[in-house]
Amino acid sequence: MLKIENLHVSIDDKEILKGLSLDVKPGEIHAIMGPNGSGKSTLSSVIAGNEDYEVIKGNIFYNDENIEDLSAEERANKGIFMSFQYPVEIPGITVTNFIKTAINSNLKARGEKEMPAGDMLKKIREKSKLLEIDSKFLSRSLNEGFSGGEKKRNEIFQMAMLEPSLAILDETDSGLDIDALKIVANGVNKLKNDNNAIIIITHYQRLLDYILPDFVHVLQDGKITKSGDKSLAIELEEKGYDWI
Amino acid sequence: MSLKEKLVSSFLAFELDTDIMSKVHKIRSESIKEFEKIGFPNTKDEYWKYTPIKKVLNEKLTLFNKKRHLIEFNRVKDFFLNGIESYKLVFIDGMFDPLWSDTTHEEADVCILSSVLEKEKYNDVIFKYYNKLVNNKESFSLLNSSFSKEGAYIHVPKNVVLDKPVEIVHINTGGESSLMLQPRSLIVLEKNSKAQIIESHYSLTSKSESSLNKADDFIGPLTNSLTEIHINENSNLDYYKVQNDVETSSIIDNTYIDQKSNSGVSCHTFSFGGSIVRNNLNFYQDGNNINSILKGVTILGANQHTDHHTLVHHANPNCESYQEYKGIYDDKSTGVFNGRVVVDKIAQKINAFQQNNNLIIGDNATVNTKPQLEIFADDVKCSHGCTIGQLDKEALFYLKARGINENDAKGLLTYAFANNVLENVKMQVLKSKIKKIIADKIGVNLGFEL
Amino acid sequence: MAYTEEELKKELESQEYQYGFTTDIDSETFPVGLNEDIVKAISKKKNEPEWMTQWRLEAYSAWKEMEEPNWHNVKYKKPDFQSISYFSAPKTNKYKSLDEVDPELIKTFEKLGISIEEQKKLAGVAVDIVMDSVSVATTFRETLAEKGIIFCSISEAIKDYPELVKKYIGKVIPRKDNYYAALNSAVFSDGSFCYIPKGVKCPMELSTYFRINQAGTGQFERTLVIADEGSYVSYLEGCTAPSRDENQLHAAVVELIAMDNAEIKYSTVQNWYPGNKHGKGGVYNFVTKRGLCNTNSKISWTQVETGSAVTWKYPSCILKGDNSIGEFYSIAVTNNYQQADTGTKMIHIGKNTKSTIISKGISAGKSQNSYRGLVQIGKRASNARNFSQCDSLLMGNNCGAHTFPYIEAKNKSAQIEHEATTSKIGEDQIFYCNQRGIDTEKAIALIVNGFSKEVLNKLPMEFAVEAQKLLEISLEGSVG
Repeated sequence: MLKIENLHVSIDDKEILKGLSLDVKPGEIHAIMGPNGSGKSTLSSVIAGNEDYEVIKGNIFYNDENIEDLSAEERANKGIFMSFQYPVEIPGITVTNFIKTAINSNLKARGEKEMPAGDMLKKIREKSKLLEIDSKFLSRSLNEGFSGGEKKRNEIFQMAMLEPSLAILDETDSGLDIDALKIVANGVNKLKNDNNAIIIITHYQRLLDYILPDFVHVLQDGKITKSGDKSLAIELEEKGYDWI
Repeated sequence: MSLKEKLVSSFLAFELDTDIMSKVHKIRSESIKEFEKIGFPNTKDEYWKYTPIKKVLNEKLTLFNKKRHLIEFNRVKDFFLNGIESYKLVFIDGMFDPLWSDTTHEEADVCILSSVLEKEKYNDVIFKYYNKLVNNKESFSLLNSSFSKEGAYIHVPKNVVLDKPVEIVHINTGGESSLMLQPRSLIVLEKNSKAQIIESHYSLTSKSESSLNKADDFIGPLTNSLTEIHINENSNLDYYKVQNDVETSSIIDNTYIDQKSNSGVSCHTFSFGGSIVRNNLNFYQDGNNINSILKGVTILGANQHTDHHTLVHHANPNCESYQEYKGIYDDKSTGVFNGRVVVDKIAQKINAFQQNNNLIIGDNATVNTKPQLEIFADDVKCSHGCTIGQLDKEALFYLKARGINENDAKGLLTYAFANNVLENVKMQVLKSKIKKIIADKIGVNLGFEL
Repeated sequence: MAYTEEELKKELESQEYQYGFTTDIDSETFPVGLNEDIVKAISKKKNEPEWMTQWRLEAYSAWKEMEEPNWHNVKYKKPDFQSISYFSAPKTNKYKSLDEVDPELIKTFEKLGISIEEQKKLAGVAVDIVMDSVSVATTFRETLAEKGIIFCSISEAIKDYPELVKKYIGKVIPRKDNYYAALNSAVFSDGSFCYIPKGVKCPMELSTYFRINQAGTGQFERTLVIADEGSYVSYLEGCTAPSRDENQLHAAVVELIAMDNAEIKYSTVQNWYPGNKHGKGGVYNFVTKRGLCNTNSKISWTQVETGSAVTWKYPSCILKGDNSIGEFYSIAVTNNYQQADTGTKMIHIGKNTKSTIISKGISAGKSQNSYRGLVQIGKRASNARNFSQCDSLLMGNNCGAHTFPYIEAKNKSAQIEHEATTSKIGEDQIFYCNQRGIDTEKAIALIVNGFSKEVLNKLPMEFAVEAQKLLEISLEGSVG
């Protein structure tokens, strides 16, 4: 589904990713762990298509298509979703109107009909329940004045609504208390199936107690230095990144 | 003859036509004398620095309509709020139109000022409230005080909650060139009362529409409006101004609001067009625990110019004011914001907030903003901020990352930028109407209901 | 609590001007009044060439036609320009060594804590001391000369480097720019001149201490700093004035020119006599300061303004060259009856120009403190950026803090952000400090320091310490 080959990426002329490779197949959950400044957020931004980042070398294939020249929305239209580490606040647009616009834009881009209002409402109701989101919350302005936990829950709610085939969760666990973490993890697990894939980017392994990854990769200084299964995450937690 | 000389000499003719026994005769003659002394402002005056008002002060302007122009209802029905009951005061080319108006004298008075000035039973009210708040050093206020004789009169007695909103609708037919209109309104809310008022300005035709207007020498109307609002203890007013005019019409609006203790006023100004629109919105807080809300959305294109001057004078302790003005400027349009907050020495524990945000879209658009604070009390929380810029890049990326294409994302963000100011609009019909105008102005087709 | 508010106020009022004393030096002073002959006499006295005399006379005739401005938010008795003496100089003004300097003068500097001896020893600081308009001592000049740097009085520069002076004087601030600039151009007594050649980084902070010391003497300093292509200079200007009863007028002009890729950092600590607690006396400080930025250049103004009875001052940057940068960092403190109307103008003309304005106003006593600033983005100034922050701190309920920011944008790619806040020192903040064992005085100093930190940090080390001291002195006991 996602194949990254020898990826070099820079921002403001500073090279952050220095030859990263990754292969993600449908049905898999990958966790990417690494210390601060190792390039974790750069990786998610560059997959999502943030134009501030420049790919100097290497390729990103998504469903066998090189997506380098695709804009962020084209990638999203194709089913790539990123849960932002710091979701932006957009005063003046409610959560509901925002998600409606997003869903219909994606449908339109895929040449499909817009979702009827009734179906939309039903889906919103169903998915907000999954993430234990109050209906009042849905009529608030997008992310404005949301707590850290509410913002993250809203991200996963949008993921549930958009049903992406590839979801990248960038530090989704940060700023969450244990209850919110469980709700978010539960949401993610319910959304997981054999046709989609998830990349979890995290500093700590605690989210991985709730979402079991098939693979764990260690990202250091712009490269994956070690890969393994869940036990690698536990070992990292105990011994720290210096141990690698 | 300059416009000033012409107006001053018109006063005699105007008086011939007017009841000089009127209780406001003295105010009129004193005002014209003062106007004669100070004349019109120009851009050298700090107060008019950014608005070249000379542009609309054509010497051909006249105070006297040639005739009454009739219009069909279906041409103006969209100017009203549809779907709710309301009192209506309709003025066509400055003249009261009883046909489409709906007045009352039952619980409260919602009628026209000319009749109030004539009738003896209103003497006390007029004596107490008329021309009490007006700045008698301001040229256009003086002109209005000299020449106005028509406008809205709304008086809500003690303990009355006005059952329906009031719509004051000014329509320019464009049937006549060079009209200078002087509408004047007096709004009084006695203790413990409540009202909702919507004042709107529309022009029926644009230059291209009417055959008369096609003539190159057509000079669009200049409306010099003045409104005095007295809000007594424990009363609440929601006041909305909708200025959705054509490019040839200009408005100068002076609004003076005096608030007594425990009262609340929210004033929304929606400026969507006009050649030159100048709003002077003055709040005077004359009591404790007063709340004043000033909000505005301005969306301009072409060669339009809008200037918002606000003044909130905090003269007493424990009060609040909240100002939020947003502007979106396309083409060659110009936006001006000058917000002034004055906090007197005795006005402790004041919370004053002022925000002005602007988006410049047009290559030749201009924004001039000056949010100023003058503070003489120490235990206050005052802040202001203003921005001029473009849409937030991060927000744009966020929307795109959700699959929304660039154009739609920009439209949506622009809409959100303006829409955010509407949260205090309590009347749903009005809110939807304004949202629709905003969406139309920005040219976004929103995929969700408004 | 250590004090009641009343006690504190009393103590503040009894705070005398710490540097208030006068020096008894025999000065050669012109008769009072201003006319063409006086202008000519000033020029002659200074042995100026004919072109300079003419330049002054033109400025004088322009000034005669102008009116004193009244748009600022300050109230004062307009100076009587015919009762001011326009020239005074210590009689002996050529010293070969410090021994020859009037011991009285040395003592004055010692009292001020800036004795020449001490200054000489101070690492890396060259001092051009202007005592009553004429340069009396210049140090380090030779060290600078080795690098080709010219640092001398403007009178000397007119004689020795006429081409440079002729080329640049009045170019950034035209003679007719404003009333006081015109007056200064006609009668300027002396000042500093500085030229940094191409590619030279000035190895030390250049410094001038200005003082007003002659009763009834107007001070008309003129400073011209030129940083040629790729050069760098940091210039410090500081002043403390002795206590006098009569109002003294100070109308300086400072012009900075940063050529391509050059950088000028201009820092000021201003502590002119602010008048006594009844608002009597004190300096009128009407200054015009402006810098011109060429391509890729940068001009940074930093000021700590604690003195003067009336201040009227807007150090500005004309960002003419593409990618040029202008900065303004200011702390203005007013106490008793002081009035300050100060701020900056950032005129964006070139592309990708950037400006930053950080202004901190602190008002105490019965003073009035205004920020007045202009940010202007011209039509061709694509991608211009400005960030402004104006914060005011009020101490006591008899003072005022005002903000008048003018923002004008004519380019759609402009990004401007302006923020302003007004607050007082919170009782909770003071209580918190008290609870941790910090007395109220110290707590205020602490809070004010924190409030001003962004600006203090921009000052060179030598100045930062002095500035901090000044803040404390100016505000001791201002709040309960």
